[in-house]
Amino acid sequence: MRAWQAGLILAALLLLAGVPWYGSDVLVQFGINALLLAVLAQGWNIIGGYTGYASFGNSVFYGLGAYGVAIAMVQWQLPFGVGLVFGAVLAVVFAVLLGIPVLRLKGHYFAIATLALSQVMTAIVSNVGLAGQNIGLVLPPLNNDPLFYGLSLGLLTIATLTIWGLTRSRFGFGLIAIRENEEGAAVMGVNTTLYKVLAFALSGFFSALAGGIHAYWITFLDPESAFDISLNVKMIIMAVFGGPGTVLGPIVGALSLSAVSEFLSSEVTSIAGLFFGLVIVAAVVLMPRGLADMLRRLRQTGWRYFIENIRAHRL
Amino acid sequence: MNALLEVRHATRSFDGLIAVDDVSFTLAPNEILGLIGPNGAGKTTLISLISGTLAPSAGEVLFQGESINHLAAFRRARLGIGRTFQIMRPFPGLSVLDNVAVGALFGRGGGQAKLGKAREQARDSLEFVGLGKYIDKRADELGGPGRKRLELAKALAMQPKVLLCDEVMAGLNHVEIEEVIDIIRKVRDRGISILVIEHVIKAIKSLSDRLLVLHHGEKIADGTPEAVLSNPIVVEAYLGKKRA
Repeated sequence: MRAWQAGLILAALLLLAGVPWYGSDVLVQFGINALLLAVLAQGWNIIGGYTGYASFGNSVFYGLGAYGVAIAMVQWQLPFGVGLVFGAVLAVVFAVLLGIPVLRLKGHYFAIATLALSQVMTAIVSNVGLAGQNIGLVLPPLNNDPLFYGLSLGLLTIATLTIWGLTRSRFGFGLIAIRENEEGAAVMGVNTTLYKVLAFALSGFFSALAGGIHAYWITFLDPESAFDISLNVKMIIMAVFGGPGTVLGPIVGALSLSAVSEFLSSEVTSIAGLFFGLVIVAAVVLMPRGLADMLRRLRQTGWRYFIENIRAHRL
Repeated sequence: MNALLEVRHATRSFDGLIAVDDVSFTLAPNEILGLIGPNGAGKTTLISLISGTLAPSAGEVLFQGESINHLAAFRRARLGIGRTFQIMRPFPGLSVLDNVAVGALFGRGGGQAKLGKAREQARDSLEFVGLGKYIDKRADELGGPGRKRLELAKALAMQPKVLLCDEVMAGLNHVEIEEVIDIIRKVRDRGISILVIEHVIKAIKSLSDRLLVLHHGEKIADGTPEAVLSNPIVVEAYLGKKRA
């Protein structure tokens, strides 16, 4: 990394860290949401972007993290930090137990299998008394948005540093090798099963922490909102829009799409969803490898970049 | 008998179709063994049985005197079995250097843990196969001959004891074939045993210490290149029966 790039990242981080001081309450609330979505996009980036397994099960990790915090705080009167750890442990155990069978599936089959997970979890949790069944749990309120903002930004920083570490480690190279060609990776000595499960667990770990923070912030939790599949779709869109398999792409994707979405829903309230859909379609057609790839390639190829992408997909 | 690699009665069938039928052979240390046979003879399947990407229906593969039948492909790679693929399988999104670095990061004995050292090792492998100039290119920017060499470099970066080459000369011209033959000889000089599948009879004749011929999955000949290539059964398998 060049010095000016590092400087730019540091400046962006300072700008983000300062929001609770110079921003309005609304901006801070928007920031918490956007930062947590960025964590989720980064979590998905590990399994989807780097390992090449398009998971629709990450919203389950998010829900488990949320329920970990809620159960620990409401049912057992434990502190928030313990709840976060509990939720993360739940998610990691779930990732390992389910990853071993499910990660044997490839491509669409893996996506479909994980797609079912959140439905199953909604049904299960709706019947667990400890989790408040289908009524949900109400957490003790804590009216401190700057704290939640700081937690979210801290978590995003840790997740991003972890991914940056991956890109220069044996583990990360193993994951990329699996994504590019799984059989080729195996004959070169990559323990593909172990690596995939570890990536799934790491992905689940960060998603669960994001879920835990979100639950305490919102102070209410029910099965429908905790295991919401559309949240999973969102994190995929954000990661893919920004650039899957890059360190910063998913953050850029999450923050920019959150802003677009927020702007549209306040300006063109009734048809905001339609506009958002158009943005996604245009992005997928014109820059299927994300913003990061576009910025890199646009300098070499200019506007031909978009035309080539359209051609490559025979549209 | 101190064979490095031994295959005993290996058999593999796909839904009743027998691709490899009761094949036994040995590979001695520092030997170049050529594996030939018409299309569909089961050569690639045999290599897959050794590298562990396919499980045998029956029979056994031994490496350094011990059965490796129960070992997954990645464990065999860590023992020192490297292979190339006939249909080249580079990691297209990675640079040429990092493609090969994967081999150095994993490979025999679990590989080199430090990325910097692994890239150094990868650079050596790339120089060795003559791709030194292309290290910064993306793997999918290489042409066919370049990819064949990349396959070799990746396998070599694993520092294997045995190298299984699946048609590394297919589609190359005469000059390129000579160069690859030269590379394979130099690999052997490093003390690596080689099993090489090839269609170009002239090339494999000059390269191999010994030839093995498969036909319809069965071993029909095993011996010195001269003896094997003048064997009437082999000639018939390749050219068909002479009409009387």
